[in-house]
Amino acid sequence: MLSGVVDYRTGPALREQGAALIKASTEAALTLDCSGVEKSSSVGLSLLLAFMRDAQAAGKLLTVRALPEDMQEIAKVSELTELLQHH
Amino acid sequence: MSADNAYAVELKGVSFKRGARSIFNNVDISIPRGKVTGIMGPSGSGKTTLLRLMGAQLRPSAGEVWVNGQNLPKLSRSDLFDARKQMGVLFQSGALFTDLDVFENVAFPLRVHTKLPEDMIRDIVLLKLQAVGLRGAVDLMPDELSGGMKRRVALARAIALDPQILMYDEPFVGQDPIAMGVLVRLIRLLNDALGITSIVVSHDLAETASIADYLYVVGDGQVLGQGTPQELMESDNPRIRQFMTGDPDGPVPFHYPAPDYRDDLLGKR
Repeated sequence: MLSGVVDYRTGPALREQGAALIKASTEAALTLDCSGVEKSSSVGLSLLLAFMRDAQAAGKLLTVRALPEDMQEIAKVSELTELLQHH
Repeated sequence: MSADNAYAVELKGVSFKRGARSIFNNVDISIPRGKVTGIMGPSGSGKTTLLRLMGAQLRPSAGEVWVNGQNLPKLSRSDLFDARKQMGVLFQSGALFTDLDVFENVAFPLRVHTKLPEDMIRDIVLLKLQAVGLRGAVDLMPDELSGGMKRRVALARAIALDPQILMYDEPFVGQDPIAMGVLVRLIRLLNDALGITSIVVSHDLAETASIADYLYVVGDGQVLGQGTPQELMESDNPRIRQFMTGDPDGPVPFHYPAPDYRDDLLGKR
């Protein structure tokens, strides 16, 4: 579950926390729920991509859920929507 | 305190002098949030100065400059540094670092203003370059880019930190028609999709009028007129009409004030 404000200040710490969680998990399939994200930016999308890479490296499947609207808009402008859906 | 949240930027009673010369005198400008606002006027009318006042690179001689509810001239240096992060500027020249490749040019603000790890910086640089259509140019040096591509890389850099306000200084100058069309489309896309407030300073009437929701015409240190492009086209004010229709002569005379021509050439009779 990703929640709160995801921006340039909170990004670096969230990156480390998420990486540790993915590494520690014993499940083969992980879901990242973004419904608790209050405000985000490109940093949020970069976090999702970083977690997808972490999961891939660990041989796990990561699915993203409930992407908030502001992140969806940035994803659209950067033509990322499909990539996030069909991972 | 600025009460009206409908405006991202408000200049209230702003005057600006260079030495004894007055550039702006008691100017009021309100930039609506989330819209594209054009600031137009002849060359030398101080349009770039207005942008620099909004970005607090210049201090007004008098008046208030409100950006997102903060009066910039009153802020401390560190608060101003934070306030500037919300503003992206596309400079007239593009102003890319010529000894850095495209990647490092776009990464620059992320390295200066954030502590993001390298893999996230790379993500954001590629996302921004994809948005302007130049992800494939990531390894090129600025001198390998066309003028239009340079301007797009500069735009990717201007949006690297997801600014709420994006200022464009003469974005269309020196661009071929295709590059101009691409820029017009990008300005509109970024504004509408990301909810950015866009301020376009330009003397290119057709392009600016085609994307702006609202226009200001400045000249003689004042706001000569404001309104939607349509309203300004239909203005009764001869100065605005002259600018909007591009007449060489009118209230802004073709001739700079000069002594009598005959006297000048043949001497006084």
